[in-house]
Amino acid sequence: VCGVNGRFAWLVEGGAGQDVGRSCILVSIGGKNVMLDCGMHMGFNDDRRFPDFSYITRNGRLTDFLDCVIISHFHLDHCGALPYFSEMVGYDGPIYMTHPTQAICPILLEDYRKIAVDKKGEANFFTSQMIKDCMKKVVAVHLHQTVQVDDELEIKAYYAGHVLGAAMFQIKVGSESVVYTGDYNMTPDRHLGAAWIDKCRPNLLITESTYATTIRDSKRCRERDFLKKVHEAVERGGKVLIPVFALGRAQELCILLETFWERMNLKAPIYFSTGLTEKANHYYKLFITWTNQKIRKTFVQRNMFEFKHIKAFDRAFADNPGPMVVFATPGMLHAGQSLQIFRKWAGNEKNMVIMPGYCVQGTVGHKILSGQRKLEMEGRQVLEVKMQVEYMSFSAHADAKGIMQLVGQAEPENVLLVHGEAKKMEFLKQKIEQEFRVSCYMPANGETVTLPTSPSIPVGISLGLLKREMAQGLLPDAKKPRLLHGTLIMKDSNFRLVSSEQALKELGLAEHQLRFTCRVHLHDPRKEQETAMRVYSHLKSVLKEHCVQHLPDGSVTVESILIQAAAHSEDPGTKVLLVSWTYQDEELGSHLTSLLKKGLPQAAS
Amino acid sequence: MESAEDWLVESLRLYQDFHAFDLSEATRVLEWIDDKGVCVAGYESLKKNEILHLLLPLRLSVKENQGLFPERDFKVRHGGFSDTSVFDLKHVPDTRLLVTSGLPGCHLHVWQVTEDSDVIQAVSTIAVQEEEGSLWPRVAIFSSMAPGVLHGARLRGLKVVDLETQKTTYSSGVGDSEELSSLQVLDADTFAFCCASGRLGLVDIRQKWAPSENAGPGPGAAARRWCAEVGGRRRGPGPSIASLGSDGQLCLLDPRDLCHPVSSGRCPVSAPSPAPELLRVTWAPGLDDCLAISGFDGTVQVYDATSWDGTGGQVEPVFTHRGHIFLEDNQTDTAPLVTTHTWHPHKPRTLLSAASDASLHVWDWVDHRAAC
Repeated sequence: VCGVNGRFAWLVEGGAGQDVGRSCILVSIGGKNVMLDCGMHMGFNDDRRFPDFSYITRNGRLTDFLDCVIISHFHLDHCGALPYFSEMVGYDGPIYMTHPTQAICPILLEDYRKIAVDKKGEANFFTSQMIKDCMKKVVAVHLHQTVQVDDELEIKAYYAGHVLGAAMFQIKVGSESVVYTGDYNMTPDRHLGAAWIDKCRPNLLITESTYATTIRDSKRCRERDFLKKVHEAVERGGKVLIPVFALGRAQELCILLETFWERMNLKAPIYFSTGLTEKANHYYKLFITWTNQKIRKTFVQRNMFEFKHIKAFDRAFADNPGPMVVFATPGMLHAGQSLQIFRKWAGNEKNMVIMPGYCVQGTVGHKILSGQRKLEMEGRQVLEVKMQVEYMSFSAHADAKGIMQLVGQAEPENVLLVHGEAKKMEFLKQKIEQEFRVSCYMPANGETVTLPTSPSIPVGISLGLLKREMAQGLLPDAKKPRLLHGTLIMKDSNFRLVSSEQALKELGLAEHQLRFTCRVHLHDPRKEQETAMRVYSHLKSVLKEHCVQHLPDGSVTVESILIQAAAHSEDPGTKVLLVSWTYQDEELGSHLTSLLKKGLPQAAS
Repeated sequence: MESAEDWLVESLRLYQDFHAFDLSEATRVLEWIDDKGVCVAGYESLKKNEILHLLLPLRLSVKENQGLFPERDFKVRHGGFSDTSVFDLKHVPDTRLLVTSGLPGCHLHVWQVTEDSDVIQAVSTIAVQEEEGSLWPRVAIFSSMAPGVLHGARLRGLKVVDLETQKTTYSSGVGDSEELSSLQVLDADTFAFCCASGRLGLVDIRQKWAPSENAGPGPGAAARRWCAEVGGRRRGPGPSIASLGSDGQLCLLDPRDLCHPVSSGRCPVSAPSPAPELLRVTWAPGLDDCLAISGFDGTVQVYDATSWDGTGGQVEPVFTHRGHIFLEDNQTDTAPLVTTHTWHPHKPRTLLSAASDASLHVWDWVDHRAAC
């Protein structure tokens, strides 16, 4: 968009409801088109799980239309549709994300693909090769690093907390900018800390608002609840299975249990399955680099991968008598070690399984969380689940208070809330508008919101023009606008202000002089020379700040304006004043003319 | 943070369940809206205050399969803005209306909570005659086909105003300038009042002012401030009125004889209370002879009156909630003060408590005394 009023326009395609939703937002800024996140809606099994990309452009190629794609973090509701988008719909441009996201995304995408295709036999899903091809288009970025997408568009990642590698992104074109938060949290947790952004004052802040109308129970109480459950199960001699994703909460829960075991002097063993320790080292390397970048130190640093009470698991231990706690992958109980252990322990009501995250449909995790207690396993075997099933929500999201904090940090001109239900966010909208004196929007799915902005357009002024203005003598005053005459040349997205002569020269044009002449009739029977003298005296006394001269040939000049008195051809009692000026002196010329039309004062006798 | 961690471990034994929330502003009110939600409101004097209608986490309402209701959070169901501070808030039963009172004390405000929006709208104001600087009218609601608002800052200003017509339907008609500390509607025709001096009375609004009341403040009363609460739905005879003094004295009275307390005890609190206006005593709706007090410090104390000898000596609480002290996150110099508390209407040992640091706790305490 060129011109004085820049405009934003965007399509918002968000998900409905909490926890199960998808993020995919299109922003048009300063003529650039950016896609923010490309999530999968995990509540659907058909095409509804993918965003409808035909919204973007009906017939054009996405690669031509989009300048870049940005992925905020590795959760599937933010990146799950990426391989579908890039390989099946077709996009070959750059995909930006942080280094940990780049490392972890393909793992989760592959896991998800396996569940969908191998377990549920779905067709029309992306392949392993597609995931690889998609990741080849990724450009990884560091925190607080300004990345030039092209010579006009730049992006910068900020720390978001939430999960490893999660970032909030600032997108900037010229003086216009948007900040997109993805998912973030403002209360620090044990290993990731809290999100942070500087006072970057974007035109627009797009923030997640899934938990906007929530006041979250404190982290300590959630932890207490977790400890209480584990403790109760262990006290009654039960075994506790905690299926975890290898990368993330597991470490936090381990720190918690270890602190607790120490304090309470508990003896029951805690195990970490082998698959986890391998992946944990990989995770640790990513983590150390990620958290060593310039972030606020809002959390306690310790080596979270060395535990005194937690040992490596051997599958034989699952049959040992007595209480124990085991962390095992994968997190949704859909395969592997965690499922094996689950099958062994499910039949005993003293045992417990604690699901720490969302489970995709089709997995055992999802089934037991839905209340199912008889599961059909391979070979038509039916497993009766008597063990206690618990679900702990440890995900770190910003609630109402957190959103207010972030808005206070970034100081945007406008705020946009996505992923909430408009009817239930009117109060928050008013709160934001009142507290920060900004406009707040809550578009529905598919709705477009347009925001006017007044971008500042930088114009280069030629040295010659500047010098000439300075030579006029008047000192510059910061508080008063100064009128400048020049020519604005717009060429190749470049704006220059030069003197008219220079512009004419560059354009190869000759200068035309415009001269105005005006006739003023005066009643004066005296001779022309006397009339001219009267005019001279009058103007000299009235126009004190201008240079008024009486030339030897009888004409009067005011600056460069010429006034000549002549007798009227038909009426000797009337004199005609010819007032002549160039276009440049238009203002003074008009003023002079009106002055003279009022007549001359009577001469004193 | 050591002590916080210790307390958290200790809390596993002390509480069946425990939730801690941080509101954006501290509240002095906790008013139930049916049994699923509470209203809170800010009390700052120089800025806009928020009135919030919060829904309790679902898991507090279900009995089984609590593990399948992982949500532990409050939902802000409705919110509104008040230009004045809110010191008292009452829900008009069977309606969508709320009445608030605070400083300046010349108006009561009526609000409406609607279904199709989450904004609490200001509906009207009720002018109140009091013009004193720091006094504000206490409020209680006569719920009926035509609800009436009982209000007053002093005995002489006690009135009942019809909510819809704003006409005064009852007036105390006395010249007594004693300052009121609490008002409570007991049934369609009676209400109870407690003055700051400790004077208690039960009033029948069908008659001219003739309350059954106690003789008036006892010796040394000037130094103390009192509040009281009448317990509802009691099983059998016995004291149903509790009054609490800012020196820590807790008295139980029978409504038939307000002059002679049935029993009294001295609570082990740091007396006098630093904020006597915040004193609160409540009866447990689900436990016999069980009371809770707050307003002295950052704790809420639960007492079992049947275990007292009643002669005024020191009594011990059966439970003390210290969460507001141990979980205090802000590095402020002043220790938090509990501003109000309330019992859950049907979960017998669950309470809600709020403190001056904007914390709000929901806790279910474990009775460790020998099981009976």
